[in-house]
Amino acid sequence: MRTLDHVLKNSVIGLHYGNRVILPFECELLKIVVDSSIITDFSSMSEDAEYVINDGFTEIYFHSFESLEEKVTQYENIKLVIVEKGKDLFDFENHRKICLSVKENHKLQIKEIDDETLFVE
Amino acid sequence: MNTLLKIFSLILLFSSSIFASEGGHHTAVLPEVYMIAPFILLLLMIATGPLFYHHFWEKHYPKIAVFLGLITVVYYLIVLGDYVSLMHTLAEYLSFIALLASLFVASGGILIKVDKKSTPMLNVLILLFGSIIANIIGTTGASMLLIRPFIKVNQGRIKPYHVIFFIFLVSNIGGALTPIGDPPLFLGFLKGIEFFWFIQHVWYIWLPTVILLLIIFYFIDSRNKVEDNSKEYSGKIHVSGTKNFIFLLIILISVFIDPAVMSWVPSLAPLPFGIREIIMFSIVYLSYKTADKEILRANEFDFEPIKEVAYLFVGIFATMIPALQLIAYEANVLGDKLNVSIFYWATGILSGFLDNAPTYLNFLSAELGKFGFDISFKENVHQFAIEYPIYLQAISVAAVFFGALSYIGNGPNFMVKSICERAGIKMPSFFAYMAKYSIPILIPVFTLVWLIFYFGK
Repeated sequence: MRTLDHVLKNSVIGLHYGNRVILPFECELLKIVVDSSIITDFSSMSEDAEYVINDGFTEIYFHSFESLEEKVTQYENIKLVIVEKGKDLFDFENHRKICLSVKENHKLQIKEIDDETLFVE
Repeated sequence: MNTLLKIFSLILLFSSSIFASEGGHHTAVLPEVYMIAPFILLLLMIATGPLFYHHFWEKHYPKIAVFLGLITVVYYLIVLGDYVSLMHTLAEYLSFIALLASLFVASGGILIKVDKKSTPMLNVLILLFGSIIANIIGTTGASMLLIRPFIKVNQGRIKPYHVIFFIFLVSNIGGALTPIGDPPLFLGFLKGIEFFWFIQHVWYIWLPTVILLLIIFYFIDSRNKVEDNSKEYSGKIHVSGTKNFIFLLIILISVFIDPAVMSWVPSLAPLPFGIREIIMFSIVYLSYKTADKEILRANEFDFEPIKEVAYLFVGIFATMIPALQLIAYEANVLGDKLNVSIFYWATGILSGFLDNAPTYLNFLSAELGKFGFDISFKENVHQFAIEYPIYLQAISVAAVFFGALSYIGNGPNFMVKSICERAGIKMPSFFAYMAKYSIPILIPVFTLVWLIFYFGK
């Protein structure tokens, strides 16, 4: 099973198809910011997004967008607060901030959010 | 009570006859009162959409704004046969969006990094600095330039009140000292008020108001004890993308490239824009094309905030034509009976929800009419500013200050909100902004201003 650190260190890409994002590691999601939408409700009733943790990858479905490629522009990122599966959710040290850049050919660049990017958990 | 009734009568807009708009430039038939319905509907949808039907609103707000605007446009063209009002409004809209878009794009290519620990005093200093430079680069320019570093400095402890006070001070109240600060004052300048009249007559209201709000902010911020001691701070301020300051300077200079200010500037009439707007739209293109991509990436630059403002305000500008014309008529009819207090409150409250620039012009026209002057003549306006400064001061202060009353009171308010949401800060809704912040904080402050400077006058 890939860890987030492995993904970041080796620049492993994620995937995006329409409104579906596939992250190459297993994680719990706490918060997502796409465009001006701040998503914290991931319940099955959520109109914004829900996610599924599978064996070795995590899928996110954005219900409110038809295509992430159209929604997220050149300089924008999808920003997430995540906790890797198996780590203590309640320990803030385990809350990792990552950003996803939507690239061509369904590729999704995954980076840790640096000091320059504005993102408030 | 009498005062309240008069203000109320202005706001309710009961009228239905002929009036002369903007000091008699053209005579138009007054719209029916029911034609303010699209405007009220649009305001209600702006207020309730993000709250109760978020997805529908997010997807369809451009169509809704344009559709409601078109109702007014069709009514003016077919029922009233008044295309002059529409052309005036189109020109004002293009001027408005040209300034906002150019400042937004040019400042989006500048990255200011403040590596200092967030403290209430540092925040007070940033807000004070923003309030001052709002008079040099406009409330929009100051807001766009400072909102990102302000969020960044406070990243570990930011709360909505930080942003709300930023909107109060930098996006609105700060810009009350010069015609560059806020559009209504610029329109007053174009009509004949001297450039430095505002700083001479408004500073002693501006200063205590800004200080009072900073004290309130400091008190609230001092109670925010969330501290992050894990990071080392260099204390340095780093600015990159400095070439975009040249673009900002060109935008500021171009504000004055108007036939009304410089006689050598050619008018492009009957086109609804001038040389100034062409320069500003060119800056939008040039500053974006030449911007450092890394800075755009760091700022997560996106046209969506300006697109949102452009669509919403196309609807607001169009649908508010009947409201403004009815107000202009009422203000002129009631002019004799209106005193400084009424001008202050009526200009203020209406500026909180309508565009403050035409609101200001209408009340300026009414004030001039009250004393037998005509807004069409610069000498009249100049003389009025000398003879009755308190009247002019009251509407100048009110038009700028009350723009902070709601998200739609001034262009940068919405843009600041949008940038903050993109940074993950959950901003209060339209109603919550007013109920939790602007009414409990600003209305007492504005009442104090009224009691000290205008009560009984």
